[in-house]
Amino acid sequence: MLIQQLINGLTLGAIYSLIALGYTLVYGILTMINFAHSEVLMLGSFMALGLAVALPSIFGGGPIGLVGMFVLSMAGAGIINVVIERFAYRPLRHISRLAPLISAIGVSIILQNGVFIWVSTQSLRFPEPVAIDQVNVMGATISTLQIIILAAALLLMAILHFFVEHTKLGKAMRACSDDIQTAGLMGINPDYIIALTFFVGGALGGAAGVLYGMNYGSIKYNLGFLPGAKAFTAAVLGGIGNIRGAVLGGFILGFLEVLASGYIPNGAQWRDVIAFSVLIIVLLVRPSGILGEKLAEKV
Amino acid sequence: MIFRRAAVLAAFAAFAILFTACGPKEKVVKIAVAVPLTGDMGTEGQGLRRAVELAVEEANAAKRFPFKLVAAPYDDRADPKEAVNVANLIVSDARVVAVVGHYNSGCATPAAKVYARAPIAMVSPAATNPEVTAQQNSKDWMGPRMVFRVVPTDDVQGSYAALFAAKKLGKKRMALLHDKSPYGQGLAEEFKKGFLAQGGKIVSEDGISVGDKDFKALLTKLKSDSAKPEGVYFGGLYTEAGLLLKQMRELGLKDPFAFISGDGSMTFGLFDVAGDAADGAYLSIVGVPADELPSAAKFVEAYKARFPSDERKPFDHFGYEAANIIMAAMERAGGPDREKVIAELKKTKHDGVLGTTVFDDKGDTTSKIVTMTRAVSKKRAFDTVR
Amino acid sequence: MNKLLHHKWTPWVLLALAAAFPFVAGAIEANYLVRVGGVIGLFMLLGLGLNFTLGYAGLFDLGFIAFYAVGAYTTAIAMKAGAPGALALVLAVLVTLAVRALLGLTILRLRGDYLAVVTMGFGEIARLTINNLDSLTNGPKGMQLAPWRPLGFLSADPNVQYYLMILAAVAVSCVASRRLEDSRVGRAWIAIREDEIAARLSGIPVREYKLLAFTLSAAFAGLAGGLFAQWEQFVTPESFVFWESILVVSIVVLGGMGSIPGVLVGALVLVGFPPLMQWKLSADWINYRYLFFGLILVLVTLFRPQGILPSSRREAELTS
Repeated sequence: MLIQQLINGLTLGAIYSLIALGYTLVYGILTMINFAHSEVLMLGSFMALGLAVALPSIFGGGPIGLVGMFVLSMAGAGIINVVIERFAYRPLRHISRLAPLISAIGVSIILQNGVFIWVSTQSLRFPEPVAIDQVNVMGATISTLQIIILAAALLLMAILHFFVEHTKLGKAMRACSDDIQTAGLMGINPDYIIALTFFVGGALGGAAGVLYGMNYGSIKYNLGFLPGAKAFTAAVLGGIGNIRGAVLGGFILGFLEVLASGYIPNGAQWRDVIAFSVLIIVLLVRPSGILGEKLAEKV
Repeated sequence: MIFRRAAVLAAFAAFAILFTACGPKEKVVKIAVAVPLTGDMGTEGQGLRRAVELAVEEANAAKRFPFKLVAAPYDDRADPKEAVNVANLIVSDARVVAVVGHYNSGCATPAAKVYARAPIAMVSPAATNPEVTAQQNSKDWMGPRMVFRVVPTDDVQGSYAALFAAKKLGKKRMALLHDKSPYGQGLAEEFKKGFLAQGGKIVSEDGISVGDKDFKALLTKLKSDSAKPEGVYFGGLYTEAGLLLKQMRELGLKDPFAFISGDGSMTFGLFDVAGDAADGAYLSIVGVPADELPSAAKFVEAYKARFPSDERKPFDHFGYEAANIIMAAMERAGGPDREKVIAELKKTKHDGVLGTTVFDDKGDTTSKIVTMTRAVSKKRAFDTVR
Repeated sequence: MNKLLHHKWTPWVLLALAAAFPFVAGAIEANYLVRVGGVIGLFMLLGLGLNFTLGYAGLFDLGFIAFYAVGAYTTAIAMKAGAPGALALVLAVLVTLAVRALLGLTILRLRGDYLAVVTMGFGEIARLTINNLDSLTNGPKGMQLAPWRPLGFLSADPNVQYYLMILAAVAVSCVASRRLEDSRVGRAWIAIREDEIAARLSGIPVREYKLLAFTLSAAFAGLAGGLFAQWEQFVTPESFVFWESILVVSIVVLGGMGSIPGVLVGALVLVGFPPLMQWKLSADWINYRYLFFGLILVLVTLFRPQGILPSSRREAELTS
């Protein structure tokens, strides 16, 4: 049972981590909570469904269709995130710290209601991309779907790591994240790097959306809110703004939830209480998250 | 900057036009549909709105009334505060003769207090908490008894499902799950009572939250429970039921491990969420299934013809029935008079999609017929279990 | 216009107009407008409360609705135990203050968005605990309250009675806020918000003052929650979801942080707009209600990023 629960936690954690990365990338560079990220996730899953419904011969199944579906949905979600940044956040960037947050809440409401009104008011069936088999490993049942989810999430994290640490653009992103004004003086165009960050964060959110749809088999206009709020918590738990922290926080949250509902009697209904209590305790011990840097005091 | 200001002004101008665009009002009588039309429960509320619209359109087409009847939608967003807001709006509009609503018990309970002061009849198609009608008999109730409910309270379904599990399926140990909503928890509590009375044993009880997606940890625990449950009873709605079924099957919890639930899960949406995993799920429904009752079959056909792209939601036939019962009362009352309609509603004896509906002295339906069905995913249908 | 807005009689004239409203509103759809006015008032109270935490002390709180819930449930439980309505309200305020102080003592050393996420977590913990503790709170089924109608001599309509009580509470809260704002304490808060280290070096006990702002704000939420419970005569966990916390934050930020008139206008716009649409939009447009709400949120923020009526102190800082 323990192995089974660990696998459950890993799948859940992988999805949380991908979403948390989107929050943390944006936060790292603008110190703003991108409240609309959960809606980007939702739109990612709807785009994937749209592709599968519109062109079933290409995206209906098979590994190539699956990869194509991922790439296009990620690109779409990334572009949406960039557009949101351009019109709803950029005009407010230098004015106030909380104004972009309110604007983000507004965008989130618009997107969710837009899908509700113009796409569908109900749950839509998400196609199964590949035939699902169960594999038995040491008494635990793993589905091929879980393996795909884990593999896709880890692959994306590896690509992100390479991009941020070993490319010029990644270096520019890190520079902006450290100090956006100085980075500007060094010849980096901050608008461009911010747009890039939003694109990358949105693309990861879109990927998480597709995985989410595959894992749970159905999607709905309000699917983004809960995982979004949880993943944001995970990002904070790991130390917001810190990429490794987001991944770590996502997996910790996944395991916490699984352990709470799997081992504590009547734990399912107290699961979120337990998860948030752990968050509070961790933050009291480490006020800037597990891997977060100590916040510099304003002098 | 100038562009931004222009855009903002244009938007405000558009709003102003929207608000003033409601043209001259023709003479109409309204049945209010107060349900969540937006927000997380919007899916279910939109279904109820369609069902009431269908009933009203049928009545207009048959020229049952000498005036035009409309179904006036009000959005409570499943938020108790907004429910009381719209209740106040509804009672302010003299053209509204009665209310079909609300969807949530948390909304129906406080809103009913507002309707009582008017007074105006409220017929609830979905709120199952006993308190919704029981509060009318409290000494604090200010107004006449005017709350009616076409959907039976939890005890009817829960105890029938318990009998079914123990006698028909021969289960001795069941696990209990519910979604911590008044509806789901109520059903589960009644199932527990009934199942214990049958000599069965409840091995575990767990609450989940509406909106949860991942139940694998919980189901893994059930699967390896040393008390060996032979099935699970779930009190809740189809989204969570579908995900539970899907993940149960993925973890290898298959027949004869039973999944039993109530009418909140018995809807076509279950097949969209669970896919083939829905196969074999037992779902109880109040009343007689559509294919055995001509009036119900007619409703199913009419709904499909009127709303070809929308599938029926779990409470739609209750909404349709509520509207029809109100219209019948209005006919007997001889016109759209709120108080007379309340008096006539008390005398209701209506043959419709739910069989025969009669209200008891609390305003609850006396119908105690429950049918058990079994989901067949290939046909997207629920077959009656005899 | 600006002169009129800042005239010293303006608030009193507005208060008199607001108090007279339910008695002259009979001509229009009175029930509804008075009801909506009361709900707006409740959110004005919540906004004024959060303004202490967010506006004055600059502490970001995303779980404020938890204290509204604590106030409502304290009132419900006290009245069920037989306490008279007024005593229940006092208890609501005291219990809310105590819970808030305890929370503040534990978490106030966190900063910025870490504080935001911890308060958000506390908001969910509070709601889930209320939903799960069936023996005390009756869980998801909610609790009924006996009617309490102290203003029965003014009007038979409970909407009017509670509208007036809430209006009085808002007026008192505004005066209290203004007096505190202009006091030593208020200036200390602003000093802390602007530069914590400088404030500490000037001898301001930062920790204590932050805790004071954080705790005081709960009194307003507790009072609002108690009035809400008594007005509805029913409380259910469904009323205290995360969205409501976001709404209160939006009221304060959109109205103008640290600005009392700003908070009032923010509540008027954000809480008043959806019911206005419910009232005036035709049936075909009713599904669009919250789409328009989101649009308003974005447009107002883009148009007035400092808030609709920013506090004069902040405005001065920002233009310099």
